[in-house]
Amino acid sequence: MTSAARCLILACGNTLRSDDGIGPLLASWAEDRWRNDSRVRILCDHQWTPELAEEVAAAETVLFIDCSLEQGPGEILLRDLSPASLKPGLVTHHIGAAELLSLAQDLYGKRPRTAQLLTIGPDSIELGEGLSEPVKQALAVAQRMLITTVQCLLNQQPD
Amino acid sequence: MTQTITIDPVTRLEGHGKITIQLNAEGEVADAHFHVTQVRGFEKFSEGRPFYEMPALTARICGICPVSHLLASAKACEAIMSVRIPHTAAQLRRMLNLAQMVQSHALSFFHLSSPDLLLGMESDPAQRHIFGVAAARPDLGRAGIALRRFGQHIIELLGTKRIHTGWVIPGGVAEPLSAAKRDEMLAMMPEAYANIGLALAAYKQIADKFQQEISVFANFPTNYLGLVNEDDSIEFTDGALRLIDTKGNLIEDGITAQRFPEVIGEAVEPYSYTKFVYYKPLGYPEGSYRVGPLARLNIVKKMGTPKADQELAEFKQIAAGPVESSFFYHHARLVEVMYGIEKIEQILADPLILDKHVRATAGVNRLDGAGQIEAPRGTLNHHYRVDDNGKITWANLVVATGHNNNAMNRGVLQAAKCYVRDGKFTEGALNRVEAVIRTFDPCLSCSTHAYGQMPLQMTLLSADGEVVDRLVR
Repeated sequence: MTSAARCLILACGNTLRSDDGIGPLLASWAEDRWRNDSRVRILCDHQWTPELAEEVAAAETVLFIDCSLEQGPGEILLRDLSPASLKPGLVTHHIGAAELLSLAQDLYGKRPRTAQLLTIGPDSIELGEGLSEPVKQALAVAQRMLITTVQCLLNQQPD
Repeated sequence: MTQTITIDPVTRLEGHGKITIQLNAEGEVADAHFHVTQVRGFEKFSEGRPFYEMPALTARICGICPVSHLLASAKACEAIMSVRIPHTAAQLRRMLNLAQMVQSHALSFFHLSSPDLLLGMESDPAQRHIFGVAAARPDLGRAGIALRRFGQHIIELLGTKRIHTGWVIPGGVAEPLSAAKRDEMLAMMPEAYANIGLALAAYKQIADKFQQEISVFANFPTNYLGLVNEDDSIEFTDGALRLIDTKGNLIEDGITAQRFPEVIGEAVEPYSYTKFVYYKPLGYPEGSYRVGPLARLNIVKKMGTPKADQELAEFKQIAAGPVESSFFYHHARLVEVMYGIEKIEQILADPLILDKHVRATAGVNRLDGAGQIEAPRGTLNHHYRVDDNGKITWANLVVATGHNNNAMNRGVLQAAKCYVRDGKFTEGALNRVEAVIRTFDPCLSCSTHAYGQMPLQMTLLSADGEVVDRLVR
C-alpha cells in the first residue's frame, strides 16, 4: 500500500536479463541497508508503470535506479530529474522516470521536491543471470553513491 | 487496382498484432483480417515436465492474467489427482480470481480504452493516452490506479506477490488467510466502491456519444459462452459452461472441463497464430461465439450481488435479447468490477474463511485431466495428459482470445467498411478499427502461448495484393 516516505527509492530491471538486473540488485542491497529506517521506502519492479505515480506523488524525495544503454559498461551517472511529457509510444506497461513525475503532478497535484536518477551502463542485457565484469566492478561505487545520495535526500528540509 | 491498408502495430493491446484491410478495384473494403503475429509454444515445451509444475509454468504465459492460468492449471492437475479441494481453499481461490479480474478490467478500461472514450476517437494521438486522461479527468485517472491497486494488493496479500504468485497449488492453496490480512482487505472496500461508482457514472454519461461506434463495433448476432452457477448467476472459478444462441436461447448447458474437448474445436487460419475456437456440433465458422464480459452478462440471469444486480438490470435494457455490439464490452467490464468488489466482500464474511484446512493431497490417479475458469477476457481451459509418473505427455490450452477470434475479425471488417471509403482513411478512422479490437481486450501473449516488445500495424492492400499504404506505430 502507498505510504509517504522521506525518500523513495524506485528501481527497475530484470535479473534474468544480465546487467539489466543491476536495479533489482541495488534495491535488494538498499532493503538491507535501510531495513530499520522507516524514512526510506524501497520499491522495485520489472518496469515502471503508471500506477507508481501514486507512490511518487506521496514521497518527499525520490531516487530512481535503472540501467541505461546510453552509458558505457559500468559507467555510473547521477543526475537531477525534471518532469517530462510522455514520449510517443506505449504506456501500458512501462513509462520513464521523468514521465512518472509528470503523471504524479497531473493526477495528484504534487510530486517530490527533489528527484534524482541513478543509472548504470550495461555490458549485456541478453538473457542470463549475473552481472558482467564491468558492472560487477561498478557495484561498490554505486552502493557508496546510493548511501551518499539517500543521506543528502534525507537531510533536505521541507520547503 | 485493389489495395491493402496495414495497421502495424495495433496499439494499447496485450501483445503483438496487425490489421490488414483489402480493398477491391473500386477502392471499397473487400476483406479485413486481425493477425496475431507472435508465437510462443508453451503447450509443446511443457511436455516432459511433472504435472504439478504446470500451474507455475503456465502462469508465465502472461503478466496481466497469470492468476487465470494458475487456476485453470491447478484445476486440471486436481482432475489428474482426482481430489476435491477444501471449501476454504475454493473460496480463497475465488477471491484471488475476482481480484485479478478487477485489476485487469481496470487496466483495460482506464489505461487502454478511456483515452478513446474520454478524449474522443479523433483526438490528437499524441495526447490520446493515460497522460491525456490524467489531464482531462484526473479523478478518473486516480480511480483507475486505485482499482488496479485494490486488485493487485489483494493478490499480494493472498499470494505474497502481485504477479506470478506461487500460492495456488494442485490440491488447494499454500497458506490460509490471516485475520489481519482479511481486515486489511475489508478496509479497502469503501474506496473501491466509490471508484467503480465514479467509473460507471462517467461511462453512462459518455456512452451515448458513440452511437456510430456502437453500430459498427462488432455489432452482429453471435452465440455466447461462459461459466454460470446452477442458480443462473455469474461464475468465474467454478460452475459449468453455458452456450446460448443469437436470440438468447440455450444451445447447451453444463459443459464441464472434462466435456469441453468433446464439444469445442479449434480451427486454423493461415494469417494468424491464434486459433479459431468453435462449437463442434455447429461446425466452423458457424459454431463461433463470443466470450468475456459481454458474453457473461448475456448468458446469466443475475449477478448474485445487490449492486451488480442493479447494474445488470440496467445493462439488460440495452436490448431485448443478447446485447450485440462489442462496444458494450466496456460497460459489461464495469458491471463485473462492481460484482468483483461485492463478491470479495461477501467471501471475506464467510465464517470459514480463516480455516486452516486449505489443501488436499494425492498423486496421479487419472492420466487425463482438464480445468476451466473465466479469465477477465473469457473462458480458459487447460487440458493435460500424463504418464504413470505424472509427466506431461500432451497439453492443450484454449484461451479467451481464441474463442473471440472469429468475432474480432468480423468486427474489424465491419468497422473498416464503415470508416475506410474510396481507399482513403484518416488516423481517427484507423483508431476506430483498432478500438474494435480493444473492446475485446484480447491477450495476444496468452493466445499464442510474445517474446519481444508489444505492438499493431495496419496495411492497405490493392486488389492484386500490392501494399498501398501502411500505418506503423
